[in-house]
Amino acid sequence: MAKLTIDGVEYEVKDGRTILQALDDLGLLMNGVDVPHYCWHPKLTIDGSCRLCQVEVEGFPKLQIGCNTPVKDGMVVHTKSERVKHAREGVMEFLLLNHPLDCPICDQAGECKLQDYAFEYGVKHARTEEPRRALKKNVDLGPTIKFDQERCILCRRCVRFCREVPKTGELAVFNRGDHSVIETVPGMQLDNPYSMNVADICPVGALTTKDFRFKIRVWFLEEAPGICTGCSNGCNVYLGVANNKVYRYVPRRNDSVNDTWICDVGRMTYEEIGAPDRLKLPAVRSDSGVLEAVPFAKAIDAAAARLRSLVERKGAGVLAAVASAHASNEDLLVLARFLDAYGIRHSGVTVRRGDSDDLLVKAEKAANAEGARTLGFEEAGPLAKQIAGGGIDGLIVLGHDLLDPAYLGGERTLAKLDTVIVLDTHVSALERVAHVILPVRHAAEKDATYVNHAGRVQRSWPVVEPSFEAYADGEVISRLGAALGLPGFDGKFDVREVSRSLGAAAAAFRGIDLESVGEQGIPLAGKG
Amino acid sequence: MGLKVPFVTGYLTEHFGDDAFPTLEGYRAKGGYEAARKALGSMTPDEVIELMKTAGLQGRGGAGFVTGLKWSFMPKKGDKPRYIACNADESEPGSFKDRILLERGAHQMLEGILIGAWAMQAEKTFIYVRGEYAHPAACVQRAIDECYAAGILGANCLGTGFRHDVVLTRGAGAYICGEETGLLESLEGKKGQPRKKPPFPAEYGAFGMPTTVNNVETFSHVPHIVAKGADWFRGFGTEKSPGTTIFGVSGHVARPGLFELPLGTRLDEIVFQHAGGVPNGRKVKGVIPGGMSMPILPAGQLDVAMANEFLRERKTMLGTGGIMVMDDTTCMVRASCVITYFFRDESCGQCTQCREGTGWLHKLVTRIERGAGSIEDIEILADVTSKMEGQTICAFADAAAWPVQGMLRHFREDFELHVEHKKCPFPESFEL
Ligand SMILES: Cc1cc2nc3c(=O)[nH]c(=O)nc-3n(C[C@H](O)[C@H](O)[C@H](O)COP(=O)(O)O)c2cc1C
Ligand code: SF4
Ligand code: SF4
Ligand code: SF4
Ligand code: FES
Repeated sequence: MAKLTIDGVEYEVKDGRTILQALDDLGLLMNGVDVPHYCWHPKLTIDGSCRLCQVEVEGFPKLQIGCNTPVKDGMVVHTKSERVKHAREGVMEFLLLNHPLDCPICDQAGECKLQDYAFEYGVKHARTEEPRRALKKNVDLGPTIKFDQERCILCRRCVRFCREVPKTGELAVFNRGDHSVIETVPGMQLDNPYSMNVADICPVGALTTKDFRFKIRVWFLEEAPGICTGCSNGCNVYLGVANNKVYRYVPRRNDSVNDTWICDVGRMTYEEIGAPDRLKLPAVRSDSGVLEAVPFAKAIDAAAARLRSLVERKGAGVLAAVASAHASNEDLLVLARFLDAYGIRHSGVTVRRGDSDDLLVKAEKAANAEGARTLGFEEAGPLAKQIAGGGIDGLIVLGHDLLDPAYLGGERTLAKLDTVIVLDTHVSALERVAHVILPVRHAAEKDATYVNHAGRVQRSWPVVEPSFEAYADGEVISRLGAALGLPGFDGKFDVREVSRSLGAAAAAFRGIDLESVGEQGIPLAGKG
Repeated sequence: MGLKVPFVTGYLTEHFGDDAFPTLEGYRAKGGYEAARKALGSMTPDEVIELMKTAGLQGRGGAGFVTGLKWSFMPKKGDKPRYIACNADESEPGSFKDRILLERGAHQMLEGILIGAWAMQAEKTFIYVRGEYAHPAACVQRAIDECYAAGILGANCLGTGFRHDVVLTRGAGAYICGEETGLLESLEGKKGQPRKKPPFPAEYGAFGMPTTVNNVETFSHVPHIVAKGADWFRGFGTEKSPGTTIFGVSGHVARPGLFELPLGTRLDEIVFQHAGGVPNGRKVKGVIPGGMSMPILPAGQLDVAMANEFLRERKTMLGTGGIMVMDDTTCMVRASCVITYFFRDESCGQCTQCREGTGWLHKLVTRIERGAGSIEDIEILADVTSKMEGQTICAFADAAAWPVQGMLRHFREDFELHVEHKKCPFPESFEL
């Protein structure tokens, strides 16, 4: 540990850190101690080129850059002196010199670090009569990103990102001096599974995602914390919300999960929340075989009636439940209680699998496979075989991963079942064979916890309200249990209370619930 | 080829008129490699470093850092190989002294390198020659080949058991590749962009290994110091700046060329006596004393001893000793256009102040030269230089800012006249 004094306040910092790294470790950077910076990024190598982060370090005649100056025990740093101010103003004026006056039409306006710092550090315009550099605008860098060369301040974050994170190296600085420009390497386009992160780290409006461009002014967006449910990594994101709609995901820093990145596929999963194929209406199959929309309560009653009738005829032994790795711990705990109370012995959890890499993307394409396993749900493969073999007559299905080729490969084998009750967020082929359909909520629409691949418990918050009637899976099952008169089921679903009882259901959850996981999550017992 | 022997010679250039001297045989005939034999055969590495410190040789690449001290920064122990980079990039406008040291004295430089290698226990030297120096590079390569054939370099240098290899690499013509870490990047095959410090080259240099970078001339002094001692060396120059150096004089003088003279020789002596003064009955207007990146001195300030301790008092420096003389026809705004254009073109572009500042300086000066500038532009010019200096990865931004500061310090009137007349008032000046 080393002692570091900044603006008269003494801190204890880890050895071997630079001034900016130490401030970042302390959580103080731009959050108590303002050292504006462009090229430095906590998850990229140090560049030291923008020279904005200069500070005064006692004992050094010249100003030093905070990003690259190692902290020495007893170091005394000043961030607010006149010299520091003069230097910052200089850098800002230099950067504004050739910057186009695009703010009114620039998509970055509102989250632009050039705008912010220019305002903060007192320079509005460069004193120049010379024409600004005319460079390429609206350049297609690849499938996901547009580039405005005139707006680029050459911080080279994007270049370092491509070299260091996906290690694809598509971008480089060409030429030198004031004719330096960022371009893609000849013969390449910016095309990698993490490409859209460059738009997040670009401090200005030079790099923008084609997806988000011109959709909405960022100051209308509320950035709400949440997690991506695209795979079992559970990357932390901010959901950009306005008018009860999610417009984008951007990465939310979590050094234990995703650093400051998310994958492109996961980023686009925000589209699933307000997708046109959301399952919106509870429905019941009529005697004539057509699905008819009914009020939610009617659908629950119809499901209870079908189950009761089947159990009366053949007993609970012919029933099975398919849990989903998309469902939360709370949902799954209620399902587990339901199975117990009703005496259903056949169950399993479906997890769709796909590509993975050694960066973030995991093979399990759902947020909570690990949570389901922790709560005792077994892999649904054997159950799928049993269903296909005709051993099951009644099925409660969460989600539709059962249709994945790894399980049934389609809905046909389910057509001969007596009862199929589906709880799902999105339309699928299951609807063709379902007898009762019950719309449920997406993670972004509920309080819930999930366990990622590494055993970290994380949570979601309700940041949008569905425009139709839908409940958490746990709530739907609670109501179904009550309609069936199962012991312990009164139809109420208090997610906080359910969450608090996770520890009693599985020891790994001890001491962990919705309230305690917070924005950064906590590891399951034994996984820390 | 091209360059003639210096008009004034000293211990470095004494034998440069001898056509055999560039060959190993000719060099040996003048006692060549005896100093290396002495160092490797009878001195410990630390003794050599101590000797260099006592001699007080300052680097001749521009910054004037004490060579013995620099050598002592190299880590002693450790399993990493240690390297030397010999800086033969010589691209400072107005400098052409290294060229003759390469063409006529390659063995002298190689002997200095070998002694340095022993002192720092370095296993390899990269000689980085500027791209345009095809002939000098060929001369050095020939000398290296001769050394390998004669067992002076390689696995068993001079039969002492010490191993040292020397490799010549060529630049591609960028000024910034003369900056020591820009050089290292270029050497590694990367774009020539100086590295942020720390880490310093002595810790993380060529290919990540501890490396010392020294100038061609710096190494060329070394055999003389080893052969004749620190006291002998200190017999030349001033107390703080010992030894000779090779001044290159160009511009409006009767005898442009190279002059090996002790440090501390007066600038007016060099200009008027050695270089023959300004021709055509003209007068001196200003003199750049040490390569284009050093601030100019006006005619009234040429009574200065050419050593950093004295030049600093006049707010300029010795730099590379490239003296550029301008006569009284010269428009200093035009001269500033040339200077700022060079730095604008050569900035590597990493640092904000340098990338944007060099361009801004050039645009401002050009506009003033066209007669479209205002008095405020002159103020801005000064302010821009103050925001460039002392804040960047390498000294290039200083090198770009200082000459403009010098012009404003001594020739502000030239700028004001352009504003007043709304055109260049120096019809006889050189054309842009
Ligand atoms: C922009 C710039 C260009 C330079 N060009 C050269 C050069 O061409 N040759 C050289 O020897 N040193 C040059 N230098 C100085 C080197 O960085 C370094 O200080 C020098 O090679 C060290 O050698 P010395 O200690 O023997 O002088 C340059 C420095 C800067 C900032
Ligand atoms: S495009 Fe953005 S991230 Fe890339 S160098 Fe320019 S400003 Fe920096
Ligand atoms: S890696 Fe997984 S969790 Fe992370 S963004 Fe991609 S899909 Fe989402
Ligand atoms: S000062 Fe100029 S030349 Fe030196 S590293 Fe910075 S931008 Fe490059
Ligand atoms: S943030 Fe330190 S130099 Fe750019």
